[in-house]
Parts: sequence; structure tokens; C-alpha cells
Amino acid sequence: MSTLAIGFLIGCVFGAILFLGGATSYRRILGTLLLKDMWIIKLMCTAIGVGTLGIYLLDLGGLANLDIKPAYLGGVAVGGAIFGIGWAVSGYCPGTCVVGASEGKLDAIFTVIGGLAGAFLFSLAYPTLKSALLDPIDFGKVTVAELTGVSTVYIAIPMSLALLALAFVVLKDRYE
Amino acid sequence: MEEREAIISWKVAGIALGLLLIVATALVKPLGVSTQFVVTDAAVMHAVAPAAAESNAYLAKYGEKEDWGVGYGWMLVFGMFAGGLVTSRLLRGRQPQADQGSMPAMWVQLFGDSRRKRFAAAFAGGVLLLFGARLAGGCTSGHMISGISQLALSSFVFGVCTFAAAILAAKFLYRQRG
Repeated sequence: MSTLAIGFLIGCVFGAILFLGGATSYRRILGTLLLKDMWIIKLMCTAIGVGTLGIYLLDLGGLANLDIKPAYLGGVAVGGAIFGIGWAVSGYCPGTCVVGASEGKLDAIFTVIGGLAGAFLFSLAYPTLKSALLDPIDFGKVTVAELTGVSTVYIAIPMSLALLALAFVVLKDRYE
Repeated sequence: MEEREAIISWKVAGIALGLLLIVATALVKPLGVSTQFVVTDAAVMHAVAPAAAESNAYLAKYGEKEDWGVGYGWMLVFGMFAGGLVTSRLLRGRQPQADQGSMPAMWVQLFGDSRRKRFAAAFAGGVLLLFGARLAGGCTSGHMISGISQLALSSFVFGVCTFAAAILAAKFLYRQRG
């Protein structure tokens, strides 16, 4: 099967999971960010817990097509902070606004349009930002295991178990 | 809560998403969304204003005149739209009332029922989301879900900064107003 078809099918399942699991819900996203409704964070911890374990095992078998993002810390930190504000203001992230738009939610459609504009603005600012935030302090495509010299297994397994414990045992909704 | 919480629980959704990430990593590469906003911009620019697209150092990296950069990643995001469209049409009736529509009740309670205001905020939020994601090199799917699962240093930094800023922004928006 072609890579394009695989991408489409994986996307279909991804979109279905986000819709069915309530990830396109404004009250759930803002509830999570206000630290009251733990639904979204529990969903994410579970996904990362399962994913970390699975990718570790895949990689052991030499089957993982890893894609580590470069750690240019200035850009990642500032970009993450700007992203976080956008997340709280819109109630969507880049993936959930696409799925929300497919549900016919008009606010999600406006977030998609804003996203296209934001990506375009970034492309205009890219030359300036590259020298200011992207090029200085660049650790490259490094994992925490490589950085600390600790074997991957001692990070992946405990982190995976900790995230699953967080989701299934520790985190509780806090409605007054 | 009396009302159904979602069509499937966070447990089922979380485990399914984790398994999907493993399948994607085995077959092609991990999940990611935000790059495709640039690919779409680049495709539109190449069609509308090719000279401007070529002179833009960032857009020129994504898509060219012949191949518009529509690959695995773009098809994945297109698939997300299709998957959401089909499941939402089939199962809309089972989606909690509170999660339907374009005007969330929480928003209306605080900011009123002006659609213009909500849509302006959604648009502005979208601008910040993608500007930030492109600066950081990824978003919730690429950095937080795929990146942390691969133990990438950059993704841990992204996760901490994103949640810190998002929580502060949400607390500020929903602060007690007197």
C-alpha cells in the first residue's frame, strides 16, 4: 500500500479517536487547563504511556522509524509558550481544530483559518527568528537518554508506568 | 456527572491513540499535524504567487512548483478531517449536548453570546497556535504525544512550556471578575 494511503488511513483513525474521545470539546480542554477536569490530560498520559513503551519495544527490534525534533531550546520554549496561549484562547490545538471543523463547529473553522495565517506569519518572520531563537542553544536531535547517558530502558519503562499510574490512579477531577 | 462523558472513555481513546502512534512509527513515521499548515500555505502560495513563494525561505522548503509537498503528513491531516466527518455524522446523537455547537456554554457564561467575539478569539488563538508550533517545531501530536514517547529533549521542554503558558492563560481568562 502506498505511503499516501497509509497516511490517509492513520489520519482517519486519529480523527475518529479525537472526536469519539471528546478531545474537540471546549469544556474539556479549558477544564483541563483550569485544572478541574482531568479527562484530556488522562487521555494524553495514557497515549504517551502506551506509546513510549511500544516505541521502545519497536526500537529494540529495529522497527521504529523515529523522528526526533531538534532541541533548539530558545525557539522550543518561546514557541511552546505562544502555542499554550493560543490553546487556552481558542480551546483547540492544530489537530483538534481540524476535527472540530469536520464536525461543522464554526469556531474550529476559524481556528483553522487563523492557523493558516499564523503559519504564514511565521514564514515571514522566519529569517529574523532563525538567527534570534533557532540557531543559538541548539542541542540537535537529542533524546533525554542520550543527553544524560542513562540507558533508554531505565527512562522509558519507569516513565511509561508513571504516566499510566498518573492517568489511572492519581489524577482526579476537582469540581467544587 | 449525569450526562454521558463522551462517546468513548479517555481510557479507550488514550490506549487507541498510543497504539495508533506505535503503528504509524512502525509503518512510516510518528504522528504530526502542524507542519501541514505550512505545506498548505506553500501550495496555495505556489499556485497564487509563485515568485513570492520561492523568495520566502521557509515556504520554499515545503513544496515546489511540480510537487506541492502533499505526502504522508498531509494525507494524514486530510484523513483526520475525513475520520472526524464520518464519525461525527454517524454518531452525533451520542455526543454529549455540552460538546456540540460553535458556542461553548463556558465561553458564553463569561464572554456573552456574541458569535463575532467567539470567532475572533478562535481565529486569534489559531494564529498563536501555528506561529508557536512552527517556532517550536511541532504541536500537541508531533511534540507532546510523538516526541515525548520518543524521549526527545525538545519535546519535554515544549510540554512544560506549553502547559505552563496555557494554564496561566486559562486562569487569567477565567479569573474571578468583580
